[in-house]
Amino acid sequence: MEGRPADEAELLARAQRGDQGAFEEIVQRYQQVAFRVAYVITGSAPEAEDAAQEGMFKAYRALHTFRTGAEPRPWLLRIVANEARNRARSAGRRHQLQLRLADDFRPGDAAPSPEAAALAGDEHRRLLALVNELSDDDRLVITSRYLLQLSGEETAAALGIPEGTVKSRLSRALDRLRARVGDKTNG
Amino acid sequence: MADLEEQLAAMAGSIEWPPTPRLSLAVASKTRPARRAWAQPRWALAAVAVLAIVATLLAYTPTRTAIADWVNLHTNLRHTTALPTPSPLPSGTLGSNLGLGKQTTLEAAQSAVGWQVLVPAQLGPPDAVYLLMPPGGPSQGEVTLVYGPRPGITTASETGVGVLVTEARGSVNEQFFEKTAGPDTTVETVSVDGHDGWWISGKPHMFVFVDSNNEPRFETLRLATNTLVIDDGGTIVRIEGHMTKEQALQIAGTLA
Repeated sequence: MEGRPADEAELLARAQRGDQGAFEEIVQRYQQVAFRVAYVITGSAPEAEDAAQEGMFKAYRALHTFRTGAEPRPWLLRIVANEARNRARSAGRRHQLQLRLADDFRPGDAAPSPEAAALAGDEHRRLLALVNELSDDDRLVITSRYLLQLSGEETAAALGIPEGTVKSRLSRALDRLRARVGDKTNG
Repeated sequence: MADLEEQLAAMAGSIEWPPTPRLSLAVASKTRPARRAWAQPRWALAAVAVLAIVATLLAYTPTRTAIADWVNLHTNLRHTTALPTPSPLPSGTLGSNLGLGKQTTLEAAQSAVGWQVLVPAQLGPPDAVYLLMPPGGPSQGEVTLVYGPRPGITTASETGVGVLVTEARGSVNEQFFEKTAGPDTTVETVSVDGHDGWWISGKPHMFVFVDSNNEPRFETLRLATNTLVIDDGGTIVRIEGHMTKEQALQIAGTLA
């Protein structure tokens, strides 16, 4: 298609051939997801910014290690997530991640009235509060997969685990979240 | 309640994330080091920040050059050597302040990683063993053997360490060394019992290899001194210490 923006693999190939502008474009395209992955890991926006920034720079320096034909996004996210984990570990202080629902939350077409929308909003807020209470590992896998909508490969990159392990870890995390939802409902 | 997974997915577009900062490679190297838990006076933080930026800009050629390229600095950069400030001499176990992972025994490390950990017979039993597993470590783990003073090898006064032997599964190539070598570093190809090796002499600070998951690993050379790297059938062995090439090769020749 004429005028079509270059895809990420093409940009990365150009960056590998020395086109720095191409890598800068990749940074711009991925900065949001990279920052949010780092934020979920560190629980701190300033730490996440540092990690995403440094991760991008490390990726640039490691361009020669990127395998042609591989997906650039998981590769980049893995480097950023590793940087975020290292920073979180060496900071010697834990930030508790507190995800919140935006004030202008709209549940979508399913809500037929403002009252129903408010009820749906309350339900989602309660669910998010339970996600916040999960262990770090459970929260990270659920947030990566559903709230950040990462693919299985990208979730594996964010968690620093093999892709084959994501499914089982996600399943166990959902079971534990389901149990908490049940406790709240019954209690 | 509707299906849990559907509910979670429905929230995806409605999370209140912090504003995404504009990332740029031009300022990447100036990011703050990981924030510490303890409070420090403002002037000390400022001094540390300035030192960190200066050290980053001056100590490491690829970074410096890359930064200059990115910000279009058309100026001559003076190549000087700035070593990272070492941690104080440890009072605990040898190597405990080097961030090598969790202290363990050779047997436990061997059993945790699954692949054969090589031990240089010439140095005797290691004085300490550390294990770094994922997600902090490479995909199949990393084992570091720490040795205190040994005959003929100068002990680093800052760390009390004579020799560090670090091992992980992965691969390296000469291009990595060229990319990361600073102005005061030379790389020479060597062979150890038929295995490819590289003698990195001078003041190398960083080591890059690709782990068995094909992910690049950036590791700090803790002693910032002469380093022998060997690819022993897919186990990347790094021997760091204030020693000559001959001494390092001799030690490497006793790895088993």
